[in-house]
Amino acid sequence: MASASGEQTSAEYIQHHLTNLVCGKTPDGWTCDHNAVDQMGFLAFHVDSLGWSIFLGLVFVGLFRLGIPKLSTEAPSGIQNFVEMCIEFVNDNVQSIFTSAKNNLIGPMALTVLVWVFLMNLMDLVPVDYLPTLAGQVAEATGMVEDSKDSYFKVVPTTDPNITLGMALAVFVLIIFYSIKIKGLKGFLAELTLHPFGKWMMPVNLVLEGVNLIAKPISLGLRLFGNLYAGEMIFILIALMLTFSSISIGLLGVGLHLIWALFHILILALQAFIFMVLTIVYLAMAHETEDH
Amino acid sequence: MNINATLLGQTLAFVIFVAICWKYVWPPIIAIMEEREKRIADGLEAAKKADDSLEEAQLAFDQEMNKAKAEAAEILEKANSRASQIVNDATEKAEVEAEKILSSASKTIENDVNKAKEELRQKMSELIIDTSEKILGDEISPEKHQELLKKAAAEL
Repeated sequence: MASASGEQTSAEYIQHHLTNLVCGKTPDGWTCDHNAVDQMGFLAFHVDSLGWSIFLGLVFVGLFRLGIPKLSTEAPSGIQNFVEMCIEFVNDNVQSIFTSAKNNLIGPMALTVLVWVFLMNLMDLVPVDYLPTLAGQVAEATGMVEDSKDSYFKVVPTTDPNITLGMALAVFVLIIFYSIKIKGLKGFLAELTLHPFGKWMMPVNLVLEGVNLIAKPISLGLRLFGNLYAGEMIFILIALMLTFSSISIGLLGVGLHLIWALFHILILALQAFIFMVLTIVYLAMAHETEDH
Repeated sequence: MNINATLLGQTLAFVIFVAICWKYVWPPIIAIMEEREKRIADGLEAAKKADDSLEEAQLAFDQEMNKAKAEAAEILEKANSRASQIVNDATEKAEVEAEKILSSASKTIENDVNKAKEELRQKMSELIIDTSEKILGDEISPEKHQELLKKAAAEL
C-alpha cells in the first residue's frame, strides 16, 4: 500500500502492519504476489503467521526436548528446572480439572498449548517495525519485490484468526472425538438432544446444545485473537507516534511503549494460560458422563 | 480478517506438535520426575526408619546403662561393706592379740618379780642366819636352822 511518492500516511502505516504475506492459488496458478490476493480463494496461506507459528513450535520442542543434554534424576539444572517447572504446573492444572477421568493426551496437549501460545504471544513484544522491515529488506535484496514497502510481513501468529481458530478447531475435533469415545455416539447425541427440556422439545434442545457446542471453539479462538490483535494494534499506534517529526511526541511514544509492553507481558501469559485451561476444561467436559 | 487454508495448516501443525510432545517430550520428563519423587519418598522413609532405630538403640542403651550403673553401685556397696568388715575383723584380732601379749607380759613380769622376791628372801634369810650364827657363835641345829630360815622368809 505504498503511495506513489514513497511517503506513507498513518492509515497506510497501520494497514501495512495488519496485512499478511499471502501465498495462494489464483486462476493463473500459485503466487505470492500481493496484488493477486483478491483472486485467491480459500486455498491461500498466510506464510508469515504460519511460518512463525511452526518456527515457534520447533523452538518449543527444541527447548523442551533437545535443550536438555541429559535428563538428570539427581539434581536437575538449568533448562531442565524450567522444563520440569512448566510440566509440573501444567500437570497440576490438568489433575485439578480432570478429577475422575484419565487421559494421558491431555497433559502433553495442555503443555504444548501453554508454551506454544505463550511463545507466539511473546512475539508481540518485539517492536512492531523490526521484523517487517528486515523482511522487506530481504525481499527487496532478493528481488522478490521492487520496493521493500510492497512486502508484507505480520509477525505475531496469534493476531491472525486463522491461527487461533486453527488450534480451536483441533480442540473442537478432540472434544467431539472424546465425547463419542467416552459416551458412545448415542450418548453424545442424547446429550445434544435430550437436554435441557426433555425429549418432546428435541429441536429446541438441539439448537441450544448445538450453539453451546459450537460456541466453545469459536470463543476459544476469538478470545485469544481479540486480545492479541488489540494489543498489537496499540503497539502499532504507539509506534506511529515515533514516525512524527516531533521529539516530544517521540519520547512520549517511547514511554508509552515501555508501559504498554510491561502491562502486555501479563496479558500474553494470561491469555496463554486461559487458552490452556479452557482446552483442559472443554475436554474434561467431553469426558464427563452424567446421567440425564 | 480472511479465513483461508492457513487455518487448516495451523490445525495440522497443532496436531503434529501435540503428537511430538505426547510421544517424545512429555513421557521422559514425567518419568524422570516420578522417579525422583519416588527416590525422595524412599529417602524420607529410610530416614524415618533410621530415626526409629536410633530411638530404639538409644532406649536399649539407656536400659543397659541403668543396669550397669545399678550393678556398679551394688558392687561398690559390697566392696565397701567387705572392706569395713575386714578392717573390723583385723581391729578385733589386733585388740585381742594386744591384750593377750599384754597379759602374758604382765604375768611374766609378775612371775619374775615373785621369783626375785623369793630369791631375795632366801638370800636375806641365809645372810641373817649366817650373821646370827657368827654373832651367837653357837651352832644351830640343822632343824632349827631350817625353821629359822622359814620364819625369816615368812617375816620378810
